[in-house]
Amino acid sequence: MKNMVFGKYIPVDSFMHRLDPRAKLIGVFLLMIALFVPDNWWVFLGLGILIFIGLLMAKIGVKMVLQSFKPMIMMMIFLLVINVLSVRTGDPLFVIGSFTIYSDAVFNTLFVVVRLMLMICITTLLTATTKPLDLTLGIEWILKPLNRFHFPSHEIAMMVSIALRFIPTIIEETMRIMNAQKSRGVDFENGKIGEKIKAILSLIVPLFSVAFERAYELADAMEARAYVPGAPRTRYHILKFKMSDFIFGLVCLIALGLSIASRFYL
Amino acid sequence: MPISFKSLSYIYSKGMPYEFRALDNIDLDIREGVITAIIGETGSGKSTLVEHLNALLIPSDGYLTVNEFNIVPSGKMPFLKLLRKDVGLVFQFSEYQLFEETVLKDVMFGPLNFGMNQEEALRRSVEALTLVGFPKEKFEASPLELSGGQKRRVAIAGIIACDPKIIVLDEPTAGLDPKGAKDMVSLFVQLNKKLNKTIIIVSHDNEMVYNYCDDTVLMSHGKLAYHGSTLDLFNDREKLEEFNLLEPDIVSFKNSLIEKGFRISAGARTIEMIAEEVGKQVKH
Repeated sequence: MKNMVFGKYIPVDSFMHRLDPRAKLIGVFLLMIALFVPDNWWVFLGLGILIFIGLLMAKIGVKMVLQSFKPMIMMMIFLLVINVLSVRTGDPLFVIGSFTIYSDAVFNTLFVVVRLMLMICITTLLTATTKPLDLTLGIEWILKPLNRFHFPSHEIAMMVSIALRFIPTIIEETMRIMNAQKSRGVDFENGKIGEKIKAILSLIVPLFSVAFERAYELADAMEARAYVPGAPRTRYHILKFKMSDFIFGLVCLIALGLSIASRFYL
Repeated sequence: MPISFKSLSYIYSKGMPYEFRALDNIDLDIREGVITAIIGETGSGKSTLVEHLNALLIPSDGYLTVNEFNIVPSGKMPFLKLLRKDVGLVFQFSEYQLFEETVLKDVMFGPLNFGMNQEEALRRSVEALTLVGFPKEKFEASPLELSGGQKRRVAIAGIIACDPKIIVLDEPTAGLDPKGAKDMVSLFVQLNKKLNKTIIIVSHDNEMVYNYCDDTVLMSHGKLAYHGSTLDLFNDREKLEEFNLLEPDIVSFKNSLIEKGFRISAGARTIEMIAEEVGKQVKH
């Protein structure tokens, strides 16, 4: 669980880390759209280079990003198999027995795989360089216009940030309880099904009781400070757009523009 | 030596941009049959050190030997269960590990996991609960309904019932009231003296360490700063200054008695022992 890379914040200092979370959210959104538009390898190459430059500027280590691909490998293989079996257009590439593999099947899969990999890169770029709390602030700001329609944007943002805040705490608790039960002879990896159920139970029950305790404590602490949902409040850190945020947004916008243009002119 | 660290290092999140060397080249032999304290500032590597003792953590570099078991980096460990039976580890805030329907069942969980039969597990669990001073009428209560101090007693009984040769306790007295903390410590002394267990206590409480622990291991920034007699460490002003430790009150008290002309032996480590020696020298 400690090796979970996808979605983890990497605490280093870089240009990407210093960008405004709102700018990053919008930029990532634009780049995501830009990835779905093109059907031309040159555009993918360009977007790939752009994203790679972003990763370098974030100083999070390319090895890290490569590790976050691992969980996707099975899915990519699955996609390839489905495509090879179902797509029957394009030129026949080669024949295995009585079965013909068509060029479109291979190219379609490659497109999807490249798209997925670039998407993982972009999301990793966002989550690795933005603290979860900053991320929720950004989401709250983006949702704010919906307040007009009685959409509870603050409450949603609060819920998301509490949930995000408690992920590391719960992981830590899980590790500690696991270690405690291992010390009492529980084997979480091996054993018969009955033993495994008992092992999981010895983890789940204490975890629930800790989680409830933490929830009560948090609720009390919030109430003690007279928390009222949606009440107008000021912030210690005020988000401010800087020049670099506009440049980042502009680069993402241009990338989207070029990728849309490629559909018409290439 | 039953416990022996050989140039052992441990690195958290190895290979990541934020990797952290928690233990740096530790060479350490812990004596059998005595009480050893592990002290040091928060984040100095105390907990990381003790989590190696029953192979919850595997060294990144170097190795350690516990009784007849060798724990080496990336080694297979078919002896894991035997090792964990030999080394009982009680964690910080151990009250959160209870999960069974009744106190007795929870204490029996460990012994049964380590292959004892039902009768032996029951016998050892009742013994252990009695030893930690847990009231008999609550054996069938749900562990989740107990008070914090009682939960911790049950958790410690759960380890004692497994009959380990070495008992490791991470901050066992943190958050207990003074009376509860004192009872807890005298329990460990009893386990050491009567049942001849090797006890290792991670602690921030230097008074308690001075009163009861034979040896002290001092950790500092992942390195071993001192290992040796507790009395030698805390009676040496130069060492205390070097390691930035406070002189225990009991040592200051003893020194001011000596200044006033009393003869106090070096081995007098508790207030009771000092009182006895002073009593002999006072004419009524």
